[in-house]
Amino acid sequence: MIKKLLRPLVAGFAFCLAWPQLIFAQDEKPVAPVGRSYALTNATIIQAPGRKIEKGTVVMKDGLITAVGAGVTVPPDAIVIKADSMYVYAGFIDGLSHTGVPKPKEERTERPKDPGNPPPDKAGIMPQNDVRNLINPSDKSIEELRNLGFTVSLTVPYGTFLPGSGAVVLLGGKSADDMVLVNNAALYSELTGTQGVYPNTIMAVMAKWRELYKNATQNKSYAASYAANSNGISRPASDRILEAFYPVIDQKLPVIFKSERVMETQRVFTLKNDLGFPLIIGDVKEGWPIVNKIKSSNAKVFLSLELPEEVKKDDKKDDKGKSKKDSVKTDKPKTAIDIEKEGLEKRKKESIALYTSQPSVFNKAGITFGFSALSAKSKDIQGNLRRMIAAGLSEDAALAALTTSPAQLLGLDKRMGSIDNGKMANLVVSDKPYFNEKAKVRYVFVDGNIYKIEAKDEKKDAKAIAKGTWNYTSEHPTDKSGKIEIKEDKGKHSGTIASGSGSAVELKDVNLKDNSLTFSFEGSGGKQEVTVKIDGDNFDGTVKGSQGSFSIKAKRDPKSK
Amino acid sequence: MFGQDKGNMLIKNATVLTVTKGTLTETDVLVKDGKIAQIGKSIAAPQGVKVIDATGLFVMPGIIDAHSHIAIDGINEATSPVTAEVFEGDVVNPLQMGIYRALGGGVTAVHAMHGSANAIGGQCETLKLRWGTFDADAMKMEGAPRTIKFALGENPTRVHGEGNNIVPRTRMGVEFVIRKSFSDAKKYMEDWDAYNKNRQAPGFRGAAPVYNLRLETLADILKGNIIIHCHSYRADEIFMLLKVCKDFGIKRLTFQHVNEGFKVAPELAAFGAGASVFSDWWAYKFEVYYSTAYNAAILTKNGVVTSINSDDAEMMRHLYHEAGKTQKYGQLTDEEALALITINPAKQLGIDARTGSLEVGKDADIAIFKNHPLSIYGVPQFTIVDGIVRFDRANDPADMRLLVDPKQNLDETMFSEKGRDNCMDGTEFLFTDNSQGKK
Repeated sequence: MIKKLLRPLVAGFAFCLAWPQLIFAQDEKPVAPVGRSYALTNATIIQAPGRKIEKGTVVMKDGLITAVGAGVTVPPDAIVIKADSMYVYAGFIDGLSHTGVPKPKEERTERPKDPGNPPPDKAGIMPQNDVRNLINPSDKSIEELRNLGFTVSLTVPYGTFLPGSGAVVLLGGKSADDMVLVNNAALYSELTGTQGVYPNTIMAVMAKWRELYKNATQNKSYAASYAANSNGISRPASDRILEAFYPVIDQKLPVIFKSERVMETQRVFTLKNDLGFPLIIGDVKEGWPIVNKIKSSNAKVFLSLELPEEVKKDDKKDDKGKSKKDSVKTDKPKTAIDIEKEGLEKRKKESIALYTSQPSVFNKAGITFGFSALSAKSKDIQGNLRRMIAAGLSEDAALAALTTSPAQLLGLDKRMGSIDNGKMANLVVSDKPYFNEKAKVRYVFVDGNIYKIEAKDEKKDAKAIAKGTWNYTSEHPTDKSGKIEIKEDKGKHSGTIASGSGSAVELKDVNLKDNSLTFSFEGSGGKQEVTVKIDGDNFDGTVKGSQGSFSIKAKRDPKSK
Repeated sequence: MFGQDKGNMLIKNATVLTVTKGTLTETDVLVKDGKIAQIGKSIAAPQGVKVIDATGLFVMPGIIDAHSHIAIDGINEATSPVTAEVFEGDVVNPLQMGIYRALGGGVTAVHAMHGSANAIGGQCETLKLRWGTFDADAMKMEGAPRTIKFALGENPTRVHGEGNNIVPRTRMGVEFVIRKSFSDAKKYMEDWDAYNKNRQAPGFRGAAPVYNLRLETLADILKGNIIIHCHSYRADEIFMLLKVCKDFGIKRLTFQHVNEGFKVAPELAAFGAGASVFSDWWAYKFEVYYSTAYNAAILTKNGVVTSINSDDAEMMRHLYHEAGKTQKYGQLTDEEALALITINPAKQLGIDARTGSLEVGKDADIAIFKNHPLSIYGVPQFTIVDGIVRFDRANDPADMRLLVDPKQNLDETMFSEKGRDNCMDGTEFLFTDNSQGKK
């Protein structure tokens, strides 16, 4: 096999602080290591949950693990990486995400003449799509996830309803074909309708799902009888949409559903029970109330790596719970609103604890599960794993959910999931035990290719600038996108905001502290408070108002600074 | 499964309003395994059974709301004038607070309906208010007949005619859409019958008709397996649908709202169609101006099975007041008035063999009131579903939510337009200009 040279990505942004590098053997010129052979020596090797080797060596050659143990001799052609005091684990496996697939731009479409009969692609019905055609091997999501120790993802196209089929991919490679381990690994679906056309509601999506499946079943059996004897009967029509269901009907291809919410999961089960397809539920966030229903469904489970944010300790309060600002004032009697607020905060805290302990609940229920990175921000994933462990999940169980369990659930346990002879050389090496708060990933091996993770630059970000023209997008129900203009005059900021459809509104209390920008404005839904972090020409944060709290992101026109 | 949770209890010494078997004073009601086991004087409490001392209280059958939109995620699939294939039973949400609030008003079962944007909307689901479960299936009333929502008049003509410039634009168009749907369904049924018959022949090798869930559902209406519940106001359109149903041999039909029902009461009675009305809600759009608070009484006196519904999460909590209004206007008896919110909606939903009155063998769905429920002083104390107390006024914590959104902020009071029903939820986008692509 010819070694693919991995060049550092051109890092134009401050946040791109880690990049893959080939380790060269004392040579100025990049020379592909013969046979791609590496040896990690003198490390603590966790072959699988509960199987530990102290001061052991792992040898890799041609993308495979060729030796592992304490008394292993290093072959002469291997590049030695001294991993003293480091920890080696099998590469992590993500069971559902869009890793490697660039997010498509939202297009505004004209309202169709007859919203009840849109063309299939306008209705999100594209099960014939193949994620291979959509993967961009240099998409930064690949590197972000790999830097955490993930080596394999089940990645699916973006979209609603039936966006296409997903593939199991390696998180590294020069082309989509390079990356794909298992093509057409699952048919992806979301119970989400399309605005303005049929099916628009969840119930219509479910009705359409049933109809497509029954149509496919009928077409398939007619095609089979035609293939057996075509004489004297009309030829079956070719239909790529229905044909995408054929392997599902044969029980050879599972359907993987985004299944975040407790009701969503049950609706997916309704379809499974009606139609009988093999099922994987992914990105499960609210499974704990129906853990028995999930267990008896026999569906394969990937729990979400996303968690609700922890309640931050109100920094304005001292230990006695008195606000420093108000410490001059005497204790006022609590108003009804105060009592209501306290009650809500208490329940929110309990609620967050429930979300956090979900993996522990599933583990106690004896459900084999993996994890899904579909909606988790990669910067939160390590912290979230630690929170799940703090909430009762054992470290071994957490490691199983990252390695052996997903390998088994995806039918890849012969090839990956543990550090054993003959398995793929997918490894993650950290300087401390992985779940330790200070642990940093140092190396990741994907298919025997090495990626060295540079220690994150601890230096302060360059001073953030707020001035300029920002194009924002938001999850806000009515204000999805628009422009924010920010002016600066001797350190004082002011500006305007205009949503896609409305006129510009004055911003109030525009404040920039370090890289944190805050302002408010009067929107259609009353006062909206915006808090964002500026990072170069991007910002990311939340907009809060009476309708709730929504994410907001923006890009600045660099010329407008 | 949660839905199989059945309770035991003894309700002591109450005034029992059976609705179908008269009023019994100082009477006990014994509940075993979620069913009413015995109604009588001085029943001895079985070992370890919960006893409710209802001395001075009134016990009535749990209230049934034949027209509601609570406990479901999604009301209108407003993209097409005919959407018979969609089914509210797919999107039941047992976590909605409205369920608990309805229990607070003595309601034990609701008809969770599709909206009225389409001439033929989606199928509805009959739910029992088993508050406390996360299991959507556990809310469904097992064995309740299938029902479907139809709509006449301004809603479908506004949404599809005005909104999208497609048929129906007029009341004639609505009739056409319904007749055409039934005709298509009839042909579809015949095609399948023919195919199934031919398939028996040796050596048959033809193709099956293309499976179509919409036509399947419409065919089920023609076969009498689904009860039609039709949103309607005007006498002419009500009479029109009676004729259409006669032409297609459809017998199971209840009209919803029916503000001009009093004009065609004898015709409704002769057909055997039900009427589910508001007590005194009208004039919220043009076709609802001609109305009267005597509607329920006139329909009842003409022998039409009549109920009073809410179509509204707030009104649902005082349907007993709404029934009480019929006595002010139409001088109905206590039993006639209570029947409007118990046995009659049960008949309209096809669940009267199990609910709607206090009789031995029926489900123990019970509401217990302080003061008579038809009195303005009536206050629900306990609401019992399948023999399990789901609402207890004396034990009613401030925050009864089953799941708290970790991101939630304190709700701010939202003032909504007064007198707005939920029937047109999910159609707003049709009335805003979002055709930005157009020049």
